[in-house]
Amino acid sequence: MADEKPKEKPREMKAQVTVPYEMAMGRNWHRFFENLKEERIMGTKCGKCSRVFIPPRSFCPRCFEDNEEWVEIGQEGTIETWCYSNLMFYGQTLKPPFIAVQVHLDGTDVGLQHRIAGFDLSDFEKVRELVKSGGRVRVVWNKEKKGNIFDIDYFELIPE
Amino acid sequence: MGRAVAVIGTGQTRHGRRNDVSYPDLVREAVRMALEDAGITPKDIEGVVSGTMPSMMEGISDTHLYFAEALCEVGKPVLKVESCGSTGQSIAHCGFYWVASGMADLVLVVGMEKMFEGDGQATMSTVADPWFLKPFSAGAPGVFTMQAMEWMHRFNIPEDKAHEAAAFISVTHHDSALDNPYAHIKIKIGMDEAKNAPIITYPVRLLDVCPTSDGACAVILASEEMAKKIGRKPAWIRGLGFRGEEFFYGESNKSIWPSATEAAKHAYEQAGIRDPLKELDVAEIYNPFTYQEMIFYECFGFCPRGKAPDYVLEGKFNRTGELPCDPSGGVLCTNPIGASGLIRLAEATLQVTGKAGARQIEGAELALSHAMGGIDQFNGVTIVGAKL
Amino acid sequence: MRKVAITRFAQSAGVESGDNLMDFTYRISKEVLDKAGLKRNEVGCVMIASSDIFHSGLSCANAVDWDGSGAFMIEGTRAEDSMFALIYAAMRILSGHFDTVLVTSIIKGSENPDNDTLTGFFADPFYMRPLGINETTAAAFQMREYMQRFGVSEEQCAKVAVKNLGNALFNPYAHMKKRVTVDDVLNSETVSDPLKALECAPKSEGVASVLLASGDAAERFTDKPVWIKGFGTSMDHFNLGDRDLLNGQLTVAAERAYRMAGIRQPRKEIDLAEICEPYAFQELLWCEKLGFCPDGEGGKLIDSGETQMYRAFPVNPSGGVLAMNPYVSRGLYRVIEAAMQIRGRAGEHQVDKKVRTALAHGTHGFAGQCHSVVILEG
Ligand SMILES: [Zn+2]
Repeated sequence: MADEKPKEKPREMKAQVTVPYEMAMGRNWHRFFENLKEERIMGTKCGKCSRVFIPPRSFCPRCFEDNEEWVEIGQEGTIETWCYSNLMFYGQTLKPPFIAVQVHLDGTDVGLQHRIAGFDLSDFEKVRELVKSGGRVRVVWNKEKKGNIFDIDYFELIPE
Repeated sequence: MGRAVAVIGTGQTRHGRRNDVSYPDLVREAVRMALEDAGITPKDIEGVVSGTMPSMMEGISDTHLYFAEALCEVGKPVLKVESCGSTGQSIAHCGFYWVASGMADLVLVVGMEKMFEGDGQATMSTVADPWFLKPFSAGAPGVFTMQAMEWMHRFNIPEDKAHEAAAFISVTHHDSALDNPYAHIKIKIGMDEAKNAPIITYPVRLLDVCPTSDGACAVILASEEMAKKIGRKPAWIRGLGFRGEEFFYGESNKSIWPSATEAAKHAYEQAGIRDPLKELDVAEIYNPFTYQEMIFYECFGFCPRGKAPDYVLEGKFNRTGELPCDPSGGVLCTNPIGASGLIRLAEATLQVTGKAGARQIEGAELALSHAMGGIDQFNGVTIVGAKL
Repeated sequence: MRKVAITRFAQSAGVESGDNLMDFTYRISKEVLDKAGLKRNEVGCVMIASSDIFHSGLSCANAVDWDGSGAFMIEGTRAEDSMFALIYAAMRILSGHFDTVLVTSIIKGSENPDNDTLTGFFADPFYMRPLGINETTAAAFQMREYMQRFGVSEEQCAKVAVKNLGNALFNPYAHMKKRVTVDDVLNSETVSDPLKALECAPKSEGVASVLLASGDAAERFTDKPVWIKGFGTSMDHFNLGDRDLLNGQLTVAAERAYRMAGIRQPRKEIDLAEICEPYAFQELLWCEKLGFCPDGEGGKLIDSGETQMYRAFPVNPSGGVLAMNPYVSRGLYRVIEAAMQIRGRAGEHQVDKKVRTALAHGTHGFAGQCHSVVILEG
C-alpha cells in the first residue's frame, strides 16, 4: 500500500543523458547573425500589420504571411522589464548574478531578451537604484564577433 | 452542441518527494484512487489519455508506452496529449472532446511528473530556443519575475504593496495546504517570514515560489447517460478554453496576458458566466508564483486591471472571502508539473461535489480550474458545476 | 453522427531542409491554408503533432511549433503522434464544437541524433535501457520469432524492401528511393540480426499538414473531400516479455476502425493500404493482423505479387516508411498518401485501379506496442 513506510531507505539509480543535435538556424536568423558581425541589427517587417520583428521572423505569426522586408533597427531602446538573477542551475549560459532584460529597441514592435551589464552587480540594492523599467539602454558590441547573440556583448544604461 | 460531460471520479497521490515508489507505481496510485472514487473497474474504461510536461525531466520519452499497465491502457484506445505546464488542462480537454464526440462513455485522464528524478530548472530552460531565449534564461523564476516587473510598471503598482500582497497570498496558501492531505509543502508561516524570505530573482522570494514535486492525478470523465447510470455525484463540465501566444516572450504583452484572458472568456461564454467574481464560488488557479496569481485574477475578470493587490489585501480571495482562490494551497505548495493542471480540475470537482474535506468551501456549486504553460505562452481553463 | 473530411493537405519532401523548425512548419501549414482559401484566424482549432522530448532537443515542442502551425490565439494543443493528432482532431469535429481543425505534424530528422538513440528513450531506465533495447533490437526479436513460428523466409521479408524502395522512385516526397534486388537487401549490412540495413527505415525530415472539416463545412474548401470513415487505436503491454510479439494490438485497433467504418471483409472492401513498416518484415506481419491474409501467410502475400503498385491490392505505393521515416509524422504521411490515391491525384505513383476505400496505419513503440488505424473513403 502507498501509505506504508518502506522498510529500507529507497534506492535511487544515478543516470545522465546526453543527446547531440544539429539545429538549423534558417535563412533569416543566419542573416541576422551575419549582420551582427557588422554591428548592424536587422529586423523583418510584416507587410500586413507593419510590425517589425526581432528576432527577425520569416513570417508573421498573426497575419500568417511571409515577411519580405528587412529594416535596420536602432541600437538604443527602452527597458520593458528586467530580472536580477541569483539563481544557478545546470546548463545555464550566464553565470549569476546577471540582469536579464527585455528591451524594446527603437524601431521595433516587440521586446528582445538580452542582458544589462557594465557595472558592479554584486550589491542588489545598488542595482535597483540604477535599473528601472522604462529606462533607456544602448548596445555595447563585443570586440570579438562570433555570429551569435553575444556579438551584442550587453546593453549599457544610458544615464537620464 | 455536443454531449454533456461529467467528472465522476478523481484521484491524487500524496505529493512530495516520492522515491518510495517507481514512476509507474506513482501513476498507478492515482489511477487506482480515481477508479475507486468513481466506483468502476479498469474494464469499464473505454479510453485513456495521459500526459506529462513533455520534456527531459525524467529522461524518458513517450511515457504512455512505459505506463501501459499503470494507466490501464492495455487493449484500450489511447491518446497522448501534452502542452507543457498546461498539460493537465489539455488532457482534461482531450477527455472532454473524446466523450463529447460520442466515441466513448468513460475516459480516464491522467497527468504525472516525478520532478525529483531530474533537474527542474535545467529542464525548463530547454523550452527556450538555443539562439535567442536560452542564453538569458534565469529559469522559471526569471520569466515570472520579468512578467511581474512589467505588470507593476504598467499599472503603477507600488512595489511595497505588491510585495505585501504576494506575502499575504503565500501565507494564506501555505495555511490552506495544511488542510490538504495531498499537499507537498506543509508549513505554517507568518507575514514577516514570507516578506523577508531569501530573494530568488527580485522581487520574487523563496516563499513566493512553488516547489518541485513528484505526483500524479487521475480524473474519470463520463457521458451524461453513464454518469447517471453510475450514480455518483458528478461535476459537470460547463465551459472550457485554451489559448496560446507567440513563442518569443517579447512579442505579446504579458502584463495583460491575452492567452489567459481569452481562454477564460471562451470558457465563461460557454458556461454563461458574466460576472465571474459573483458567479464563481471557488477558483483553482495554476499559481507557481504569488505575483503571477495576481495577474491571473485580473485576466480572469475577478478584479479590474492593476487592482489585484488591493483585492488580495482586502481578503476577497481568502477561503472566507468573496471568491476563494486555491483553497487546496495550489501549485504554490504542490507542483508535479504534468499533473498540476489536472489537480486543479480534481480540486474544483471535489469542491462542487462537496468532497473537499477540511478545505471545503461551503455550498460551492461553480468552480474554475486552470493551468499555464510554456514561457508564459499557454493558458487553459475548465469550469465545472454541480448542476448541468 | 457528424461526418469528418480531409479537405486539403501538404507534405514536405524527404530532402534535408535548411529552414529552421519554425519556418519549416510555417511553409507547409501555410500551403494547406492557401489551398483551402482559409485565413489563419478562421481556423477553428489547431492540432500539432511532435515529439515530446528528444526529437527536437527542445522541451515542450508545442511552444516552438505553435507559431508556424498558425495557432496564435486560437484553440489548440499538441499530441504525441500524428495519428493521435488526426484522431483527436476528428473527435473535436465529431463533438460538434469545431468545424475545422488544422493538423500539422513536425519532425526534422536532419537535426536529430540516430533513430535508435531516440527510441532508446522509450525504454525504462532499469531493465531495458541498460541492455540497449530500442525499436530496432525489439524489431529484430520480433522478426526472428516471425520467421521461426511461421517459416517466413528472409527472402520474403527482403522483397518488401525491394517493392517499397522501388515504389518510392515514383514518389517525389520520398526520402530513400532505390532500385534494389533481394540479393542487394540480403547483402546489405546486418544492423541487428536478422535485420539488414535496407530493411530498416531511414531518418527523415517531414512536416505534413491536413485540414479537416465537418461534413457541412468541407465543400467550402474542396470539391474532392476524402471522408474519415473509421479510426481505432490500441496499446499493448510495455515489457517485450509480457507480450506475444506476433499477436499484438493491431488486430484490436483495426477491429475498432472497421466497426466504425462498417467494414466486415477488409481484404474485399479495402482497395489499398498504406502501412507503417519501419522494418521490412513488419509489412507482412501487419498485413496479417489487419486481416488482409491469414496468420502466417504474409510471406505468401508478398510472393503472390498482389501487393505491388499495379496489382489488385497495392500496399505502400508511396514506398512506405522504409522510404520515408519522419518519426512522429510517418502516420500522417500514410493518411495523406491514401487520400491522394483516393482522389486519383497521386501522379506517377497513382495505382491503376480505382481506389474507393483505403486504410492508413501508424505505429510507435517497441515491436508495435501502440497501433493506430484510419479508414478513408472517397
Ligand atoms: Zn502581421
